[in-house]
Amino acid sequence: MDSRGAFLATCVTACTVLAVTGPVYAASALSVTVLSAAGTPVQDAIIIAEPQKGSPPPRTGLKDVMDQRNLMFVPGAMVVQTGTAVDFPNSDQVHHQVYSFSPAKTFQLALYAGKAHAPVVFDKPGLVTLGCNIHDSMLGYIYVTDSPWFGRTGADGTLQLRDLVPGEYTLRVWHALLDESGPELQAHLNLAEGATGVANFRLSRPLRPPSLNHGADKKWEDY
Amino acid sequence: MGRLLIGACAVAALLLAGAGNAYELDLSVDLRAVNSNATDSRLEGGLGKLRYDATDDGLRLGYLRVGYRVDLTQTLRLTAEAAAYGDHDVNPIDLNELYAEWRPIPSSDWRSRLKVGAFYPEISLENRMRGWRSPYTLSFSAINTWVGEELRTIGAEYSLELLGRSRGHAFDLTFNAAAFGWNDTAGTVLASRGWGLHDRQSSLFGRFANGGQPLSANTLFYDDLDKRAGYYVGATANYRGLLEARLLHYDNRAKLGPDNPTIGDDPWDTFFESLGLRWTPTTDWTLITQWLHGRTYDDIGLPTNAWSFNSEFLLASWKHGPMRYAARYDRFTSQQTASNFIQYIGFYLGDDGHAWTLAGERALSEHWTAVLEGIQVDSSVAQRVFTGELPYQRERQLQLAIRYDK
Repeated sequence: MDSRGAFLATCVTACTVLAVTGPVYAASALSVTVLSAAGTPVQDAIIIAEPQKGSPPPRTGLKDVMDQRNLMFVPGAMVVQTGTAVDFPNSDQVHHQVYSFSPAKTFQLALYAGKAHAPVVFDKPGLVTLGCNIHDSMLGYIYVTDSPWFGRTGADGTLQLRDLVPGEYTLRVWHALLDESGPELQAHLNLAEGATGVANFRLSRPLRPPSLNHGADKKWEDY
Repeated sequence: MGRLLIGACAVAALLLAGAGNAYELDLSVDLRAVNSNATDSRLEGGLGKLRYDATDDGLRLGYLRVGYRVDLTQTLRLTAEAAAYGDHDVNPIDLNELYAEWRPIPSSDWRSRLKVGAFYPEISLENRMRGWRSPYTLSFSAINTWVGEELRTIGAEYSLELLGRSRGHAFDLTFNAAAFGWNDTAGTVLASRGWGLHDRQSSLFGRFANGGQPLSANTLFYDDLDKRAGYYVGATANYRGLLEARLLHYDNRAKLGPDNPTIGDDPWDTFFESLGLRWTPTTDWTLITQWLHGRTYDDIGLPTNAWSFNSEFLLASWKHGPMRYAARYDRFTSQQTASNFIQYIGFYLGDDGHAWTLAGERALSEHWTAVLEGIQVDSSVAQRVFTGELPYQRERQLQLAIRYDK
């Protein structure tokens, strides 16, 4: 990080700490906003609130879906709780061969169309990068966390979390297009019972531009 | 005919082998209305730069192509690309590519791939549609026209890829190396006719420039005259899917020798370097540039016939709703540097020119596309004195294509 970035990151961290450690914080809800370096809302940022005294045991029967449509993973990035069974239906006309060699989950789904495979259980926390062995431009992400409190920011850059247990939390921000990994991406706060905590994150660098994808146009095939 | 039979057997074996496996079959038909003032087309034995000359005005078959891909196993895919161009090649429909690709599922961020068969080397950043077609213009750049005319890897290519982006890095890197045969005549069209700009690819079992031949016999592609393998090595770097750079060093290592009467040509020792860059700053804009520099030799007596060739192009494409617009500027030279005819004709052969290509494409529906392309080539070709033409010619060609892809 250059000196300007470091300066911004310091400011951002300071702002974040100010925002989340003041006397107004309390309670069982949380409002988190993520802004870009330019101050605009960041959509689809993944927010995780990790209780410092440990997460409650995961619920059973957790399920989610990572679809494949127009030669893209949909959604491109998702967050699930450890133990979640994720289904990988293929909604395209062509076959896919989904794989991951990430330490948090190594797996492969043999070439398939439709809904040919049993869901994959993500049993370790960490970031899992998905690929398709037939279509190299397909990249997807599953962020696996022990915490039951997480979500993605909306178009206004904000995520509302409810029903949190009061206590100390570490907040983490992740986005598939992040171009930074500094301290500005996490914050600590103490949630008192009956109040709504507020946290604001501001990135120090612009998000990377999204990778280009020709979608379902099967006429394209790079040589 | 024997070669076609081999091809037909290979396709039949491929289809049978693929029975019951996951496959993709796709079809494209491209029909064109053509207006041209160009001099006799290189595809009809002339020294014109374009596919269609002044005698070709009217409705033409751009191409009919059939692509077939079948996954024989989880990691082994066979690909066949066949095309017909309606221009009286020896086979009405012929194979352009036929190969097997082994692509193991990555277990780390390094992945190997192996291709065996007949296929294009990884050189073009412009030809990115199935069947090695360009999505930007009807006529390829001069560089990739030549690749389509004379190059095919008939052999094996090994690629090693670093899947950096799967690890959160900015780059994917690919290194490849190939050994091939059956490409000993590569260079002959370039030396005899100079550069061209069109989309007529040579076929694996066809002939090329199948008309009268002012300087060289019809070349039967592809054949091995010297039993000595050629090679290429290349690398591609992809920065976040936005910027791609591609480098290739190619050498067919042809052993110079006399004319082969069956082939109608002698071996041409051809080697070149190519560097390409493709930048897609937004989903709508694409900029491509490519540079190629090479040499070729043959040996019809002494001194050896030697040529140097260069070309580069810059292409810009803008997509707007159902429209895609493209503009390309090409420059090219081929220059004879040693000649066994010099004492008889008094000058070296070669060409020197540039071309502007403008194209507009409109997607009419999911399967139908219309493309309008205008191209103007200014070139000076020393060989034209043999055909009674002035060395300098300005050629123009307008094509309206209606394309169906399914």
